[in-house]
Amino acid sequence: MNQNSPSAGWKSVVLRYETLLLAVLVVEWFFFYHYGTTVNRKGVVVGFGTLDRQFDILRHSCEIGLLALALTPVILTAGIDLSVGSLLGLCAIIFGKLWREGGLELPLAAVLTLLAGALAGGLNAGLITRLRLPPLIVTLGTYSLFRGLAEALTHGAVTYTDFPAEFLFFGQERWLGLPTQAWLFLLAAIAVWVLVHRTTFGRSFRAIGFSPEGARYAGLPVGHRTGLVYVLAGLIAALAALIYTARLGQAKADAGTGYELFAITAVVLGGTSIFGGRGSVSGTLLGVAAIAVLKNGLACLPVVIRMNAAEEMSGMFTGALLLLALAGSILPNILSTLRLRPQAG
Amino acid sequence: MRHETAAPLLTLAGIKKSYGAVRALQGVDFELRAGEVHALLGENGAGKSTLINVITGARTPDAGTMTLAGRPLGELTPAVTRALGIACVHQQPALFADLTVAENIGLRLEGGGPWRWVDWRRRGQEAEQLLRRVGADFPANRTVRELSMPEQQLVEIACVLGSGARIIIMDEPTASLTHREQARLFTVVRELRAAGTGVIYISHRLEEIFSLADRVTVLRDGESVGTQAVRDITEAGLIKLMVGREVAQLYPPAESAPGETVLELKGVGCRRAGVRDVSFAVRAGEIFGLAGLVGAGRTELARTLFGLTPADAGEIFLQGARIHPRSASEAVALGVAYVPEDRRRHGVVLEMPIAHNVTMAIHPRVFPGAWLRFGAEEGLACQAIRDLAVKCSGPDAPGSSLSGGNQQKVSLARWLATKPKLLILDEPTQGVDVGAKSEIHRIIRRLAKEGLAVIMISSDLPEVLGMSDRIGVMRGGTLSAILPGGSDPHTVMAAALGQAK
Repeated sequence: MNQNSPSAGWKSVVLRYETLLLAVLVVEWFFFYHYGTTVNRKGVVVGFGTLDRQFDILRHSCEIGLLALALTPVILTAGIDLSVGSLLGLCAIIFGKLWREGGLELPLAAVLTLLAGALAGGLNAGLITRLRLPPLIVTLGTYSLFRGLAEALTHGAVTYTDFPAEFLFFGQERWLGLPTQAWLFLLAAIAVWVLVHRTTFGRSFRAIGFSPEGARYAGLPVGHRTGLVYVLAGLIAALAALIYTARLGQAKADAGTGYELFAITAVVLGGTSIFGGRGSVSGTLLGVAAIAVLKNGLACLPVVIRMNAAEEMSGMFTGALLLLALAGSILPNILSTLRLRPQAG
Repeated sequence: MRHETAAPLLTLAGIKKSYGAVRALQGVDFELRAGEVHALLGENGAGKSTLINVITGARTPDAGTMTLAGRPLGELTPAVTRALGIACVHQQPALFADLTVAENIGLRLEGGGPWRWVDWRRRGQEAEQLLRRVGADFPANRTVRELSMPEQQLVEIACVLGSGARIIIMDEPTASLTHREQARLFTVVRELRAAGTGVIYISHRLEEIFSLADRVTVLRDGESVGTQAVRDITEAGLIKLMVGREVAQLYPPAESAPGETVLELKGVGCRRAGVRDVSFAVRAGEIFGLAGLVGAGRTELARTLFGLTPADAGEIFLQGARIHPRSASEAVALGVAYVPEDRRRHGVVLEMPIAHNVTMAIHPRVFPGAWLRFGAEEGLACQAIRDLAVKCSGPDAPGSSLSGGNQQKVSLARWLATKPKLLILDEPTQGVDVGAKSEIHRIIRRLAKEGLAVIMISSDLPEVLGMSDRIGVMRGGTLSAILPGGSDPHTVMAAALGQAK
């Protein structure tokens, strides 16, 4: 929030929410590094501490990370988009169908898929800004609509596979030492960061999030800007679909099921207010990382492996982390109230 | 009639209160007697709101003592002060919009737990009685949502009356009332005084204070600078106390002859907004006042010109070219600026810093290519703060940290930054203290001199008469008369009430 006053001093940097979240992330990482790394019987190091595992975490977070990036501007405008996970599935199917059944070249199919994603986002945008329907209801509808379309297009059975190696490169190989999709994710993150923090678009998103009426009276194009965040969300969801397909080497209708909730969790954990206006892209990235490390780290803990309960544990701990973060964000208020009490009598 | 010798009902001594680095109150002494109307005066930001919050227990003072009828008071909470018989009519009515008037009054006044039996007939009758006492002419079974702002204000006053409080605080109760409602309110206040109630009365309208109050205490910069009997002080003396200097002339004179026509309306109407057949022209350098009663369609006309409710009849010409703004952003691009009446909801985005608010309407110009330039923005904000003398901690201060008058200045700064051709001001000085008011008047006059066409909507009759070069009077959604500046108030009122013909 303070990006325009670089001289605000070290206190405002250290006491920022993002810094706190970064500290949590570091503690989390070292905890799992210490307890989650073991040497197996053959004398090979396995578990959390290996480079392979770290890259695996990165690979697995890219799609949810992209959806979280897509949702950050949406939530800044005090909106919500529940349809991004379903749209990921629909776009994966559209991509597979265009390539396999349409006989298109992969790059062309990819571009058309991105367009389809933007178009689907445009449907959300139109319903929300033209018909003035609440985003929660609209995207709850398209959440079912997009998933249903994906299933109808494949009759719930077809899975597209056998993609050529040039395409799988984007999901399974490394480029300049890092998983290829991490570079795409980085690019998307920079683009969204610039949009939100360095342009008048981001400024308008916040104004709309704080006070849509106030923004309208200031002559801001509220409808246009609100629509834009949903179109952008659709576009990014389509990109996530491509990366998802490249990682698994297959496009199927249930791709990305439930991802929207992970993405929303990451955004909120990253300090973006669900009521709009406040939040940052760096917070969202930290939120994504905190959840990804937690999820993967737990799967490496011997005790969790023995219990065979990685999924359940990660769900529980993610939830607990989110609640803690929400409690933490009101902590300063509580503290200042407590500080003032004794002088009152 | 006046209880000059009455023992003090409420005494405050050395009250101090700080919010962080801002020292809102720095040693306030105040005394309220039973059976007196004690006016509290001060510029915006002088500490009136904080003082009220201390008295009602909403805020705990950092230092100082409070005594009620001779008994020292400990720590106060709103519940405790209510039990002690202190009630407050707030500026903004805080009622449940979906409940009826009777239900709202019942919720405030009836005791008992959640499982008590509600006697609906009695509740209704009591509410009706209270409404009659405050002179309301709507029934108690109306839903609050259907009521106008002044009517809701009357419900608030009814609640306070019904509570039988011995200390009643009224925070600008007449801000939105019509003359008839005002007169009725004054009668109620005088009845309360006769019954021995202590009334703390806050208003910026000096003529109200002179006709109603017994004593007046002036706050300046968080300190009480003096308490005097109203009959011992003149209007000029009071203003001097408030601003700490003489305000030489309340309304700056017109200095320039109007230039060419900037805005021309021919039969403009908007069915949705209830505006019909409005025709007039405003020239460069001219201040065109819009007078009329609340609900006469003045704000609605402004919203139509600003594209918020686009016109569906007639023609609008701006500098000779026909325009038809369909949204506020279109209107801004055309050179129309509108400083809205409700500054907290529409004028500024409270959560955002002053700098962001100031540049909000000029994104394309300050930020070419949509690229934010923080240095340029801060420069603009600092300049606006200096030019309009905004009292704040800096361009990063959020709008919510400013007093009403300073929020208004930020709102004005935003629209001046657009370098508009036509400036529409909607109640530019409502709820603004005398000092800031004359500052705003000088700014408006300066803008007109610089060649801007100004439309000024105001319910403050002296303001309209003193500032306007010509006065348009609206009634029932249309323009009922255009009068020359300096017309006498009776002619304007007659036109507003429809007695001209």
